[in-house]
Amino acid sequence: MRVRDLTISYGREPVLEGASIEVDHGEFVSLVGPSGSGKSSLLRAVIGLQQPLAGTVEAGYAPSEIGMLFQDDALLPWKTARDNVSLGLTFNGMGRSLALVQGDFWLDKLGLAGFGDRFPRHLSGGQRKRVAIAQVLAMQPKLLLMDEPFASLDAIVRARIIQDVAELVERERISVLLVTHDLEEAISLSDRVYLLSQGPRARITQQYQVPIARPRDLVKARVHPAFGPLYEKLWNDLSHEVDFDRLAEAAE
Amino acid sequence: MTTFDPRWKWMRQLAAFAVLLLLWEAAGRAGLLNPLFVPSPSLIGRALYELFADGRIWPHIDATFTAALLGLALGILAGIVLGVVAALVPPVAELLEPVMTLLNAIPRVVLAPLFVIWLGIDLASKVALAFILVAVVIFFTVFNGIRQVDRKLVERIVTLGGGRWDLVRHVYLPSVAAWVLGNLKIAVGFAFTGACVGEFVAASRGLGYLLSFAQSTYNSALMFALIFLIMVVVLLIFAIAGRLEKHLLRWN
Repeated sequence: MRVRDLTISYGREPVLEGASIEVDHGEFVSLVGPSGSGKSSLLRAVIGLQQPLAGTVEAGYAPSEIGMLFQDDALLPWKTARDNVSLGLTFNGMGRSLALVQGDFWLDKLGLAGFGDRFPRHLSGGQRKRVAIAQVLAMQPKLLLMDEPFASLDAIVRARIIQDVAELVERERISVLLVTHDLEEAISLSDRVYLLSQGPRARITQQYQVPIARPRDLVKARVHPAFGPLYEKLWNDLSHEVDFDRLAEAAE
Repeated sequence: MTTFDPRWKWMRQLAAFAVLLLLWEAAGRAGLLNPLFVPSPSLIGRALYELFADGRIWPHIDATFTAALLGLALGILAGIVLGVVAALVPPVAELLEPVMTLLNAIPRVVLAPLFVIWLGIDLASKVALAFILVAVVIFFTVFNGIRQVDRKLVERIVTLGGGRWDLVRHVYLPSVAAWVLGNLKIAVGFAFTGACVGEFVAASRGLGYLLSFAQSTYNSALMFALIFLIMVVVLLIFAIAGRLEKHLLRWN
């Protein structure tokens, strides 16, 4: 997946300007940056929900091979967990009965065996998130886009879900582009991290290689000798971006 | 302090109602109430019994039910169709919304005499009144509902590969159904209001017609009996609507 010189604008001033990123096959890439840096807009442009002002997106995959996991669950409230998971499969021509079997299979993989008949309303936040993940992974995407998908979860649930997603992504050899503002999450999961500056006119300012071999145990990754220095560097660079813009704003 | 067990709430309500009836009856027998204006419960009971004893009430119940249910069905149908079209085709909304807003603002029962002149004193004028009462409510429910469909649900379906028809089938139709069902009780109330008021204005049959007859003959016992009967009928329909709502909205 390759994005070149992407500029996205909602009004007079672009939120994101001239951003170029790449995700190689099987690579896990994160995009971090302060709020309003156009991180989500970039993802939306990749999947075609947002028309860029300039620049090109080479997805490198067919639309049906790209999955997108949103920040909120956005499950259909009137459909059971199983029906929600099998939804995308039926859109792509799979027969309903087979799709439902697949639905159960993926719920099972996400640790939700036996929850197929529940409506989203009757699931916890973490369970709903798992259903949403199952829904996307059931499509067997080659590229997975994630827009701060874990932000709304509480710490323990979040850690377990992230670990599960990391393992599934590893096993299925899925390329990932994760948008987050959580540096720990970005470093512990990714092969590479891009840093965006504060918007408007946000730019990619840095990119970092994470020198920790995959597959990783996410808890161990955090105590890896390379983790601390990289975290500190990212944090300093990010703080610099935010402060710099605040200063510029104050000077105007 | 005495505590009131919430489980016995209905018992307390029933007891209070019984006490009220007894006091009413006692006051009537003691000559404190003029039976010309406020007949005692036993007199009302006898009037009610007589209505059913010779079976002459049935054609009237039949007439009111037919008018109300026809008006309800047609009103819901028209409300949904117009609401959907207005929400999806902006020029239609431009024309329709002011008319509906006006109809919503006025007490629509003032149209009853007009319908009698146009459609005669038979069923049609009652159906028309019930229809106009229901259709306006359902129109706004559907019209506002569709415009507030969760964008995230729409995007989710799109990113899973769903097309326009999938959106209609899995997002818009269930949303519309939920809103209509949520307002079903209000619509039922309006339908019976329309039927009864229509009969009250000019008719040869129906509970509203009987009520008008009771008024012109100063038969207050009959009047109370009819009011009671109408209440029971509407509560019965409410119960059915409630069951339907509970079943179809069980995901909520």
